[in-house]
Amino acid sequence: MNAVVHRNWFVNGIAQVGACGLFFIDILLALPRSLRHFRETCRQVWFVGAMSLVIVMTCGLFVGMVLALQLYYTLSIFGGTAALGTVVALSLFRELGPVVTALLFAGRAGTAVTAEIGLMRATDQIDAMEMMAVDPIAYVIAPRYLAGVVAMPLLMCLFNALGILGGHLVGVTWLGVDNGTFWGNMTSTVDLWKDIIDGVWKSLAFGAVVTLIAVYQGYNAPPTSEGVAYSTTRTVVFSAIVILAVDFVMTAFLT
Amino acid sequence: MPAIPQSVEAEPLVQVRDLHARLGGKSVFDGLTLEVPRGSITAIMGPSGTGKTTLLRHITGQLRADSGGVRVAGEDVARLSRNALFALREKIGFLFQNSALLTDFNVFENIAFPLRQHAKLPEVLIRNIVLTKLQAVGLRGAARLMPSELSGGMARRVALARAIVFDPMLILYDEPFVGLDPIALNQVLRLIRTLNRTLGITSILVAHELAAIRQVADRVYLIANGKLVAQGAPDDLAHQDSPWTRQFFGGEADGPVPFHYPAPDYASDLGFAR
Repeated sequence: MNAVVHRNWFVNGIAQVGACGLFFIDILLALPRSLRHFRETCRQVWFVGAMSLVIVMTCGLFVGMVLALQLYYTLSIFGGTAALGTVVALSLFRELGPVVTALLFAGRAGTAVTAEIGLMRATDQIDAMEMMAVDPIAYVIAPRYLAGVVAMPLLMCLFNALGILGGHLVGVTWLGVDNGTFWGNMTSTVDLWKDIIDGVWKSLAFGAVVTLIAVYQGYNAPPTSEGVAYSTTRTVVFSAIVILAVDFVMTAFLT
Repeated sequence: MPAIPQSVEAEPLVQVRDLHARLGGKSVFDGLTLEVPRGSITAIMGPSGTGKTTLLRHITGQLRADSGGVRVAGEDVARLSRNALFALREKIGFLFQNSALLTDFNVFENIAFPLRQHAKLPEVLIRNIVLTKLQAVGLRGAARLMPSELSGGMARRVALARAIVFDPMLILYDEPFVGLDPIALNQVLRLIRTLNRTLGITSILVAHELAAIRQVADRVYLIANGKLVAQGAPDDLAHQDSPWTRQFFGGEADGPVPFHYPAPDYASDLGFAR
């Protein structure tokens, strides 16, 4: 009995991944048509990007502050506090910036997108579009997908900027690290292509998978309040797992 | 405009032929056959859960049959490509039970939505068309209201204005009278009749309200157990002597549609040995 249950769980999981892949192809095919709805795409960039600024920037500031505190303590053991700016920047650009921004994005924008599309499905708005001969993939899904992919790297840049500002506040203003050393070591060590652009690639990949999960869960949400709630939860859970798994794979290849 | 050949004009607009379909593993249609003549108002009635809304979804090509099929304006809906199906849907209006207005748009934008998507019209013309449709349903003054500010009856009328924005050949009404007070019900009823009589739009109406159906419908099809069990003019059907019509129109709790959902033997279910 248990073997049957596990097998069903496994087969369903594979089927879901396959369905999500086909859905992704549908979105790619609809992208050129969705450019007709450019205003809708801009509205979605505002909705998933600009509306996430407060949480991303606030968290970026605090993550930078905590990083500086922890790293100052560790570096001081080896007498290397002069490297604080470098280590804070590398941690943010290469790892924490893309990953934490993606996790915050999944919690703030991913859930909102899933719930919105799920409710559109539950209130027959998606069916109404199909009946008006309007392709919901091109009008509803593709603009949201594009907006998520565009917004994620931009949010990550702001997260990193605020993180470095937080690190500077704690390291230079509070703990007394020399201002010139902080910036000088950072700018001489951090490499544009190897560190910053690699982080942008990661961020683009996270934007692509998190938004795909969000729109897929919303579009296939059972048309009940419980179904929408369940799909919204799944967006956060699946996104968190996929972000960390993709991060591991990309780090292994990019390092 | 080219004249429609006599044979095409005489052909029913919607033909359902020996439709067999399953939904969620359960048989919904088991050889359903019916026809909807052009220019008529046809009501589809039947017990809850019998597949009336599902039938509308087969007519619009949202669902595919296991066998048999649906022809609309001579075209086999199941065989149409996606583009051809969308082209057909531009000629069909669909009134959803819950109106299905787009909640991000106000009333005006909801009605303008199909025009903006399919017709490259100047803004002035779009405005005039939308206001004409709103005037027809008596809601020109509500053009700037959001869907959340509308009553159920008003939302239904806005959805109707949206459904007729392209002057369709066919309108499908899914439970248009549910949840309406008598005033709103009569308003919707009058609109259905007016659209049919003045524009010659063929209408298919899924509803339970016999009194309302009697006022507008030319013909009623009674569906049960996936089949057509009775048909005729509304007044004739109510007086037909068949177990189905007796139970349905008489509102009897038990009959061909059983009161009890199929279940194991009651005594054994309670644990009493026989």
